[in-house]
Amino acid sequence: MADPNTPRSTGSSERFETIAEMEAEARPGREGEPHGDDSLMGRFDRWGLRRFSAWDAVKAVTLTTLLLVIFAGGSIRAAADELKPGLGRDIVKAIGGPAGWVADQLPFAETRRDLTSWLSPNQQLTGQGFRASPGGPGRPVAPLPTTPQPLHRVLVTGDSLSTPLDIEIARKLADQGAGVQVTRDPHLATGISNTGLVDWSKLSSTQAAEDNPDAVVLFIGANEGYPMPGPNGQQVSCCGPAWEAIFQSRVGQMMDNYLGGGVQRIYWLTVPTQRDPARKPIADDVNQAIRGAAASRGAAVRVIDLVPTFTPGDSYRDSIDINGRPTIVRMPDGIHLNEEGSSLAADLVLQAVSRDFDY
Amino acid sequence: MLFPTIEFAIFFPIVLALSWALMPSQPLWKPFIVLASYVFYAAADPRFCLLLAAITLVSQLAVVAIHRTEDERLRKWFTAGGVVFDLGILAVFKYYGFFVTDVSDVLNSIGLGMPLPLVTIALPVGVSFFSFQAVTYVVDVKRRQAEPASLLDAAIYLSFFPHLVAGPIVRASEFLPQLREPRDPDRVAVGAGLSLIALGLIKKVMIADYLAREVVDKVFAVPQAYSAPDAILGAYAYAAQIFCDFSGYTDMAIGLALLMGFVFPQNFNSPYRATGFRDFWRRWHMTLSRFLRDYLYIPLGGNRKGRVRTYVNLMLTMALGGLWHGAAWNFVAWGAYQGTGLSAEHAIKGRLGRIFPGWLRWFVTFNLIVLGWILFRSTDLTLFGDYMSALVRSGPATLYSVPVVGAIALVVGLQLLPERPMEGLELRIGRVRPLLLGAALAVVVLIVGATVPSQGVPPFIYFRF
Repeated sequence: MADPNTPRSTGSSERFETIAEMEAEARPGREGEPHGDDSLMGRFDRWGLRRFSAWDAVKAVTLTTLLLVIFAGGSIRAAADELKPGLGRDIVKAIGGPAGWVADQLPFAETRRDLTSWLSPNQQLTGQGFRASPGGPGRPVAPLPTTPQPLHRVLVTGDSLSTPLDIEIARKLADQGAGVQVTRDPHLATGISNTGLVDWSKLSSTQAAEDNPDAVVLFIGANEGYPMPGPNGQQVSCCGPAWEAIFQSRVGQMMDNYLGGGVQRIYWLTVPTQRDPARKPIADDVNQAIRGAAASRGAAVRVIDLVPTFTPGDSYRDSIDINGRPTIVRMPDGIHLNEEGSSLAADLVLQAVSRDFDY
Repeated sequence: MLFPTIEFAIFFPIVLALSWALMPSQPLWKPFIVLASYVFYAAADPRFCLLLAAITLVSQLAVVAIHRTEDERLRKWFTAGGVVFDLGILAVFKYYGFFVTDVSDVLNSIGLGMPLPLVTIALPVGVSFFSFQAVTYVVDVKRRQAEPASLLDAAIYLSFFPHLVAGPIVRASEFLPQLREPRDPDRVAVGAGLSLIALGLIKKVMIADYLAREVVDKVFAVPQAYSAPDAILGAYAYAAQIFCDFSGYTDMAIGLALLMGFVFPQNFNSPYRATGFRDFWRRWHMTLSRFLRDYLYIPLGGNRKGRVRTYVNLMLTMALGGLWHGAAWNFVAWGAYQGTGLSAEHAIKGRLGRIFPGWLRWFVTFNLIVLGWILFRSTDLTLFGDYMSALVRSGPATLYSVPVVGAIALVVGLQLLPERPMEGLELRIGRVRPLLLGAALAVVVLIVGATVPSQGVPPFIYFRF
């Protein structure tokens, strides 16, 4: 029986030792001819490249998988919680559960974390996570100045909705030569109702402390609708008054974290109606919660209501008239604003900001 | 489904094992691999599977019709029908919004209403790649360079998951012969496959995404806020990012295919060591270059119809190649820029080498390519103007750090090293025992995984195209 590791003759490509040699052979006289021998399909047959069996391939990939389960099984379990509901999530969950259990029984996951945590690009969050009990403003807030204050720093943050809004705001302020520093901090795929990826209560405290902004612009709400623990510890599903009350409490806690951390004004954008009718109850509750939380915090929080601008009558549309010109303002997903839409939203934000600040 | 995700890490080992188990029985293996590929594609959006199936069916119908007739006129019509359908799908899904927006502006400016609805259409991931592959199938059969395949083989060719969403663009004549008989289970390039997967992961997650996060996204978002030192760094960082992002994906695709017993054409060959535009396009996205050459430039007449026509053909080919990357004017302008470079080089053919030393040709080419990337990355021409202004604005350097500069230097520097020792290293890695490489791949995944931000791995740049 032939040794599987011995290269077999498979054609002329074995004559070559390097890709450059193959190319040199392929090029002359072939220019202009379709399908010359220029795809280097035989490059893996060149002299000396060792072959193994399919069984070796399967064993190697299985070993990789086993090692990943042993060292990072918990990550598979955690990843399942962050996926959108559906068959894919169910499958990852079905495998992540046992994988996580295996990893929990062994000491290797901890070792892996110790060895690799320094590589993580994630921000270390400080502050308190979301509290379950709803209530009014939690922290005392400094009194608002009666005259417009100078604007030095703006933080634009949120989930994927906040970009490219953040870019548009930064560009418009830069074009005005205002000298305002804009910090863009989008946290894609995150949600206030889902603390799996990031806890927005902790994140808002951290942002206020580290970025020290005068004003915060928030646009978030594309990934909401997750069940949240209520005051009695029970999970409350979306949507309805109970879920909205918990969400409003969380929004309020975030507002308090910013205002208590020295932010003078918050500009919170509502979520315009989305194409998928199934998302409407979620967006309605999110928007109502934002309005409710803002109402109890006075002029420190401005709600920039995008619904009448982008989806008048609460009905979804891809395009609207901007300066008399029909313009597509939504992304193909029917959720996000595109650049033109974000530019319009940025104008609305900056109109509000200019009433409160000098820049 | 992205390659560097947990979903794919679960999907692939199962499919790999079943694929080799079923390989000896082709009537079982072929439906299985089509099913697996459609499951892979459905993870993005199940509705798009219908589109993929439609392109497969219509291309197959065209190919069978072409093959059955010897009448050249009929063969041409069937070919045109297949190609128009394949490219029509691409046009509707990719360019409708671009077309209606610009037409609407023109019609409104002269007081006429827009007759077509101003709506957005979701871009099916990978449509630019599999529609081009369908074109190669139809045209290769018309040119008698490929034999018609069975419907099942055609379905495998167009949907095979390692190349489905971002290439490389595998020609029918390169892939279909590999389906004629079962892949040899005793001749699998396991070492090359595993090392390419590891290399691709490192390129994508540890270099491309890192540079995007630390430099590129910041500078290109608001170039007005930065001055020359940062804008220069941003341009070089993007050159490194786009290479690592796209070639990283390609490495993984080729590696996965190798483990399954298939070979894909090479897609990158140290593009930043090019000493001219022509040389660059022989090294960068090689499968697209070959597609444009064989299915557009040569049918237009290539260089056979005089000097002026050659330049027109080059400009047209590259402008359309630019448009293929995205429905925006900056991509057309980037294509025209590349076409201008190729035309200029064609005009002074042969003289460059005699006048300028190799290092100078490399230096000029590299910087012209980087300049082109600014146009490519700018989402509109206004932003490009802002970026060019930033390149000449004096001010402080705020984004420089040792890891950033080191990553850029590594990406460019490795491509400038002599080819023979690098390939020798590849061969030595390819000889390592598979189990050892499997363990090494796990270590790479764990290290790479630790560098992923909480929101996950950003999509590959070429997923948008």
